Amino acid sequence: MALRGALSAAGRRWAQQRLCCTARGDTIFAVSSGHGRCGVAVIRTSGPGSRGALRSLTGRPELPPPRVLALRRIRDPATAEPLDRGLVVWFPGPQSFTGEDCAELHVHGGPAVVSGVLRALGRLPGLRPAEPGEFTRRAFHRGKLDLTAAEGLGDLIHAETEAQRRQALRQMEGELGRLYQRWSETLTQALAHLEAYIDFSEDDNVEEEVLSQVDAAVRALEQELGAHLQDGRRGELLRGGVRAVIAGPPNVGKSSLLNLLCRRPAAIVSPVAGTTRDVVEVSLNVTGYPVVLSDTAGLRDATDPVEREGVSRARDRLQRADLVLAVLDATAVPAEPAGLGAAVGSLVPPAAPCILVLNKADLLGGDTGALRAACARGPPVPPATLLSCKTGDGIDRLLELLGQQLAQLCGDPLAGSPSLTQSRHSQHLGDCAAALARYGRHRARDLGLAAEQLRLARRHLGRITGHVGAEDVLDIIFRDFCVGK
Amino acid sequence: FGGIGKGHLVREVDALDGLCGRVCDLAGVHYKVLNRCKGPAVWGLRAQVDRGLYRDNMRKEILNTPLLTVHEASVEDLLLTEPEPDHPGKCRVRGVVLGDGSTVHTGSVILTTGTFLRGMIHVGLEKHPAGRLGDQPSIGLAQTLERLGFAVGRLKTGTPPRLAKDTIDFSGLEERTADNPPVPFSFLSKAVWIKPEDQLSCYLTYTNPKAQQIVQDNLHLNNHVRETTKGPRYCPSLEAKVLRFPNREHQVWLEPEGLESNVIYPQGLSMTLPPELQEQVIKSIRGLEKAKMLQPGYGVQYDYLDPRQLTASLESRLVQRLFFAGQINGTTGYEEAAAQGVIAGINACLRVRGKPPFIVSRTEGYIGVLIDDLTTLGTNEPYRMFTSRVEFRMSLRPDNADARLTHRGFEEAGCVSQQRYEQAVKMKAALEDGIAALKSLQFSVSKWSQLIPEVRLSSKSTLVLHSAFDILQYPEANMEILARAIPEPLRKFAKWRELSERLKIEAAYEWCVVNQQEEIEEVRQDEALQLPEDLDYFAIDASLSTEVREKLSSNRPQTIGAVSRIPGITPAAIVNLLRFVKNKHRKAEKLKAFPQTDKYLPGKMYSEKAASQTQISAELSEEEPESTFVKTPV
Repeated sequence: MALRGALSAAGRRWAQQRLCCTARGDTIFAVSSGHGRCGVAVIRTSGPGSRGALRSLTGRPELPPPRVLALRRIRDPATAEPLDRGLVVWFPGPQSFTGEDCAELHVHGGPAVVSGVLRALGRLPGLRPAEPGEFTRRAFHRGKLDLTAAEGLGDLIHAETEAQRRQALRQMEGELGRLYQRWSETLTQALAHLEAYIDFSEDDNVEEEVLSQVDAAVRALEQELGAHLQDGRRGELLRGGVRAVIAGPPNVGKSSLLNLLCRRPAAIVSPVAGTTRDVVEVSLNVTGYPVVLSDTAGLRDATDPVEREGVSRARDRLQRADLVLAVLDATAVPAEPAGLGAAVGSLVPPAAPCILVLNKADLLGGDTGALRAACARGPPVPPATLLSCKTGDGIDRLLELLGQQLAQLCGDPLAGSPSLTQSRHSQHLGDCAAALARYGRHRARDLGLAAEQLRLARRHLGRITGHVGAEDVLDIIFRDFCVGK
Repeated sequence: FGGIGKGHLVREVDALDGLCGRVCDLAGVHYKVLNRCKGPAVWGLRAQVDRGLYRDNMRKEILNTPLLTVHEASVEDLLLTEPEPDHPGKCRVRGVVLGDGSTVHTGSVILTTGTFLRGMIHVGLEKHPAGRLGDQPSIGLAQTLERLGFAVGRLKTGTPPRLAKDTIDFSGLEERTADNPPVPFSFLSKAVWIKPEDQLSCYLTYTNPKAQQIVQDNLHLNNHVRETTKGPRYCPSLEAKVLRFPNREHQVWLEPEGLESNVIYPQGLSMTLPPELQEQVIKSIRGLEKAKMLQPGYGVQYDYLDPRQLTASLESRLVQRLFFAGQINGTTGYEEAAAQGVIAGINACLRVRGKPPFIVSRTEGYIGVLIDDLTTLGTNEPYRMFTSRVEFRMSLRPDNADARLTHRGFEEAGCVSQQRYEQAVKMKAALEDGIAALKSLQFSVSKWSQLIPEVRLSSKSTLVLHSAFDILQYPEANMEILARAIPEPLRKFAKWRELSERLKIEAAYEWCVVNQQEEIEEVRQDEALQLPEDLDYFAIDASLSTEVREKLSSNRPQTIGAVSRIPGITPAAIVNLLRFVKNKHRKAEKLKAFPQTDKYLPGKMYSEKAASQTQISAELSEEEPESTFVKTPV
């Protein structure tokens, strides 16, 4: 081929270097343990950086033989601080789950160890936390995915992204959330104005001063971000634990249920300050899982303004709940599955994990067979039980159901955990700050390249605050400028 | 013609051997590259074009195209027949019925109705059916399309009044002269037809509070502005500008319509007031106090079809072999229309020949972004190209449109002439050669400072070697300076002006392009995963919410990539959809051979691409993954 002949030897050498370079790609990692809060957490990496990551974390130049478990001391390569002793496995591609080079670290399941390992991985060049579904997508692209599993995988990803969404929502409530939100708005506005300057200034009244405003905004943001990052991982610590919310119409025994759960030896109670007037919150430990349980105002169309506020807070809680304990009056519900499902559906946000508690079972007359059958039916009825808060009948079954749900929710001990969320955040904030610094460098030379850095910065921030698309930028442009022929 | 973002489209149309760029190079009277100081990725090639010259040259080109029969008549209806079983669609078009009742039989049809579908012109309170001033609208065809079940919407646009040049006082106005030398649109043009000094100038003037007052006082006489039909957020009429951004001066560009023409197009003065009030507005503006209005401005409202009813090849899903291009798909302007026209034309032909469609990806061109946005997301205002819509703006530049599209156009679509292809091949080889040579010259900072004192290097590190390619990024550096310092081997590259300029641009964008490569790769992989055309999202057995099913069903994304761009689609939904995907592996392999970073790799050149881009319906790998991994989430 003539073209190839035209390449000099130097060109070929360069091209080979480039080949290695483009083959590099990035490497992702995530916790991928199985169900239950077992003693071992599995952290997996996929991508060409897996080899280096395994070497760095074990501190040994040689890798264990492929696909054989090896016991290794695991340390943070940055500080040489030991993190754990655990089993590691090396799966060179293509014989791995994703078809890429993969490594697995089986470490002790405590959050401190796991987040320590994740932080160490995140600091390695070319490694980053996996996005939801990313392992699966990679496996798919390399023809490795068994599609009978795809549906299940989809559901798991759904659960995980939901957990992350709820976690992010909580994070966004606080001061930190407001801060990120403000940064995101500043950045989107700066980008929109810069884009307007690029797309319209020659023909329309987009003036030079827009540019100096953008510069000032970017500089200020860069400084603020820098200071924030220097501040270490201060952030607001979030209380870990599954957020469970008791919800239901008024007078069905929601508060009795809370008290009952608190009184049981299975639940260790510690009252927490800051409970609002109408949302009562306690921290419990249910069958080994940390739970933050809230009792909310009865859900109904209230007329009294105070009660209305209580109901609106209850609904707010429900939106953020990891698990809902829907309480209904056993004497007032239809005894067939469809009706029961509909009654729950009217209370609980769709797709939220839920346990149905039919309280006041002691008031039911003789024949409870139909109702019990409906409870055991499965969808559309969520896991359900009859209970009498008064006599305590049915509490064992409730705790069993709770245990099952919690095991599922906590299957991945770190999905949506505060520490993981925070380490992701600091990584994205760091990348965002780096892009802002590059903006300054490109600014005088090439506005297109400078804008590219703002786009990058915004994408990193967007990973924390939620996605912002090209249309949002256009919206700001058309709101702020009079453009057009 | 052209402009920011739009100029990119013209370059891409030209790279596929579309005509508009070449004809503009034969007909412009004022050539100007916009955004000169903002970086080559966002340069906007633009020209004021002489209408008469453009028409004559275009007509000559068309009439001289071998094997092309041109027939001018109005089309009133479509001839339809049974659908082909292997494609979606309830019927197939086999010809058109003309205004006189005669028929033309054809393998495929492209409709490019502009603003003519049930076009209605508005001036003041008057309205009358017309596609353009003096031209009948197309009603029968609009009814046919509606009867076939196409979702139809209504859009509006407008045009300014025209002014007599010899009645305008240009003396106090800001003059904008054209570029010298003018930059041609076409990769084939060495220069444009006109002598640089013969070009005409444009002039800038402004509206003032008086014009605003006239508009505000007469809103009751202005149907077009009050009605709710969606108009664009940009290119708004003077009325819209005054209402949305009051108490400001608004720019009015006075543009010549031709070399010999006495007509001035006052860009920025689009309005639909009654003609006598338009005259008042005009006379209130500096320089136009005595201007004579040759023709009033007017608004047009017209039908467009929801472009989500089209595939990425611009063929309709309802009627097989029926293609749409231009304003009928909800876009503005000449350039967007040309971009769709070239794609619809190529695909109408490939379709008749039974060949796979020719799709430009978002990662390959502005054309790809335009068509993907339209067919995936739809639009509710006339869609205009902006550079800010383009994710990979740093890679999709006006300078390299040939490298991105000409090779594919030649090999896959057969729409590119031998001459253009050979020129593109030569340029590509020279670029590769040049970059390799520049990369191979590596020296320390101090050595570079001796060699080229005129370039101030920012790096202080004496240890790191810098290649000549790195040095070329500096604003003061260029091939000439480098070749002076190192004549061998650089002299031969520096002598070729166009090559030198392109090498410098490649150097400036290298970092960004390399960084984007991974992301581009991801998008391409996702775009290689095609969803079947006839997937019934309400029937498929997958855990998708009703909301997601509705979105998928109305947007009809063609690939997993398109799915991921629909707002509100979750990662889980995407994974669940993977089961229903057809894998176009070879296509993905082929795309990988593409631009920028990879394009210099010896093993991955265009000509090596597999000849066939057959769509393989890949049976998803049945290979059992290692059992320990099956349950893993992400």
